[in-house]
Amino acid sequence: MSSVSASLLYMVFSLGGVGLYLLLPGGERRRTGAAGAVLGLLAVLALLLVLGARGLVGGSQAFYFYLFSAIAILGASRVVTHRKPVYSAIYFVLVVISTAAMLVLLQAEFLAVALVIIYAGAIIVTYLFVIMLAQQHTETVYDTRAREPLLAVLTGFVLMAAIAGHAGESVSVPAPSAVAARSVEIGGDGSTALPPGNVAAVGAVLMTRYVVVLEIAGVLLLVSMIGAVALSRKRVPYEGAPVPTTPLGQIGREVDPF
Amino acid sequence: MPDGLYNFLTSQFGVSVVLALVVLGVLLGAVAYCIYFERKISAWIQDRWGPNRVGPAGLFQPIADGLKFVFKEDVIPGNVDKPLFIAAPAIMFLVGFIGFAVIPWGGYWEINGKLIDIQVASLDIGLLYILGVASMGVYGVVLGAWSSNNKYSIFGGIRATAQMLSYEIPMGLCILIVVLTLGTVRLEEMIAPQAQYWLGFIPKWNVFLHPIAFVVLFTTMLAEANRAPFDLAEAEQELIGGFHTEYSALKFGMFFLAEYAAMITSSAFLAVLFLGGYHFPGIAWTQPDVTHFGAVLAKILVLSGKVAICIFVMMWVRWTLPRFRFDQLMRLAWSGLIPLMLVLFVWTVVLVYLGEERSPLWALGGNVVALVGTLVYAGLSKAEITGRTSNLPPVQSAQGGAMAGMS
Repeated sequence: MSSVSASLLYMVFSLGGVGLYLLLPGGERRRTGAAGAVLGLLAVLALLLVLGARGLVGGSQAFYFYLFSAIAILGASRVVTHRKPVYSAIYFVLVVISTAAMLVLLQAEFLAVALVIIYAGAIIVTYLFVIMLAQQHTETVYDTRAREPLLAVLTGFVLMAAIAGHAGESVSVPAPSAVAARSVEIGGDGSTALPPGNVAAVGAVLMTRYVVVLEIAGVLLLVSMIGAVALSRKRVPYEGAPVPTTPLGQIGREVDPF
Repeated sequence: MPDGLYNFLTSQFGVSVVLALVVLGVLLGAVAYCIYFERKISAWIQDRWGPNRVGPAGLFQPIADGLKFVFKEDVIPGNVDKPLFIAAPAIMFLVGFIGFAVIPWGGYWEINGKLIDIQVASLDIGLLYILGVASMGVYGVVLGAWSSNNKYSIFGGIRATAQMLSYEIPMGLCILIVVLTLGTVRLEEMIAPQAQYWLGFIPKWNVFLHPIAFVVLFTTMLAEANRAPFDLAEAEQELIGGFHTEYSALKFGMFFLAEYAAMITSSAFLAVLFLGGYHFPGIAWTQPDVTHFGAVLAKILVLSGKVAICIFVMMWVRWTLPRFRFDQLMRLAWSGLIPLMLVLFVWTVVLVYLGEERSPLWALGGNVVALVGTLVYAGLSKAEITGRTSNLPPVQSAQGGAMAGMS
C-alpha cells in the first residue's frame, strides 16, 4: 500500500473548493453554477484517479468503494448547493445511504444499518417534515443565496486538508474478523462463548470496555428528552377560554426591545 | 444438466440468486392477487358478489387491472415538482420489495453435504435490515405528497409522516422484546428456539410468551402500512386519496402494489418473530433439523400459509373497523402503546437478568399484570373515550337547537 503525497491531495481539494464556491447559490448576482459543476466534477475525478493510481484502495470491492464515494461526494455538494431545501434533504439521504454502503463494504453492517435507521429513517424525515410544513414551492432569499460562501468553503478546505495531511501515513486497519474475534475475548477470562457475529461483537465491546461511556450517553439522551418535553409543554388556550390574568410567557410574542 | 450449472445451482450464491428471482416474481403475482382477494373479502363482508366478470369467479380481474394501470394515460399535472413526482412511487415500490431479502422462507437445505440457507441474504443484522428498510418507506409518501403541489396531498403526507414516526417506537419496543427473549437478531436463528414444545404439544412460539407484544406489533404494522383503521393518510372522504391524489396509471399502481408488498413483508416478519416462522406443530418436516428438499417445500408452504392468514386478518380489520380520528391515533400511540410496551420491555429485561426470559409463567404473568393494570388505570382515569372536550361549542342541528343537550 503506497502513500499519497499530501500536496497532490491539497491541489485536488483546492480545485474542488473553487468548484464548490462557484456552485454555491449566490442569488441573482452570481450565476456561475455550470463552471462550478465542471470544476467540481473534475476535482472528484482527479481525487478518484489519485487514490486509484496509488492503489490506496484495492481488492475486489474497489469498484464499489469508488462508486459509493463518488455518489457521496456529489450528493454532499448538492446538499449545500441546491436551491430547494427539500432537494437538499433528499441529497442528504443519498449521502447517508452511500456512507452506509461503504460501511457495509468494511463489514461494519451494524453501523451501516444503525446509520440508515437513525439518520435516514428518523432525523432527516423530521427535517423533511418541517421543510414541508414551512415552505412550499416558492423560493425564498435565504434559500437561493449562500450567506458566507467563501468562508464556508475555506473552512471545509482546512478540515479536509487536516485529514489529507495524514493520508500519507499508512494506517493498518484490522480486518473485521479480527475485530470480532478480539472483542469476543473481552468478557474477562475468555470463557464467554459469543458467536463471532457483527452485532454480538459490537454489543460485547459496548457492554464491557465502553460501558461507562454508553451509560453517560444514555443519561445525556434521557436528559435531552426530558428537556424537550419540558420545553414543548405549553398550554394551548381554546377559543372562549378564560383570559389568563398573568402573561403566559414571552415566547413568540412581540416584545419591545427597548 | 452440465456440472457447472449444477454446481452453481447448489451453491449458496446460486440458491440465493434463484430465490431472489423466484420470490420477486411470486410476490408480484401474490400482490396482484392480494388486491383481488381484498375485493372479494370486502364483498363477502358487505354481502355482495365482488369481481366476477373477468374469467371464472373473476379470477383474471388482476390481469385486467394490471393492463388498465399500464395502458391508461399517465397524467403528470402542471406545477408538480417533476423529478420528485416521478421518483416518489419508484422509492415506495423499491422499499416495498427489498425487505423480502432477509425472510427465511425454508430453513436449510442439505445437498452434497453442505447446508444452504433458503434465504436471499443471510445477514447478521437481518432484523435491523428490515427495520431500516421500513423506516425508509415514509420517503415515498412524503415526497409524493410534497411534489404533487396539492393541499390535500400535503395533508395526507403530513398525517402519514407523523403516524409512521409515532408508530415506529412501539414497533421497535415489540421487536426488542423478541430480540431479548431469543438473544439474536438473525431471523433464521429465531425459528429453532420457537420450534420446541412445552408439555410435549404446545409450541414455544413467542406469541404464547408475549401475546400483548404480538397484538401491538400487528397494530403498528397496520399503521406503518397505512392500512385501515390507520389509513388517515389517504382518507377518501376527507383527502380524496391523500398523498396519491394526483397520481394516475402506472405511478398510482406502484403506490398500490407497494402497499400490498409492505403487507406481505410485515406479515412474514410477524410470522417469523411471533408465530414460529416455518414451524408448525405436528408436522415433522417443518422442524428446523429436517433438511431434505421436501422439507424445504413444506416449510415454504407453512410460512406462506401463515402470511396468508395474517393478510386475511388485515383485510378483515380493514372492512370491519371504522377509521380513527387523528388525535385518537396519536393518543393511542403516545399515551397508550408506548407506555404499555415500555413496561413490558423493562419486565423482559428483568426476566433476562433472572434467566427466566423463556419461562411462560413469568412472561405471561407479566403480560396479564400489564393488561389488568392498563384496564384498571383506564377505568379509574375516567377519560372521555371520544376525546371530545366539553369546552367545544355544541353542534347546531338544522332546527337550531343544540344537539349536545339531547343525549
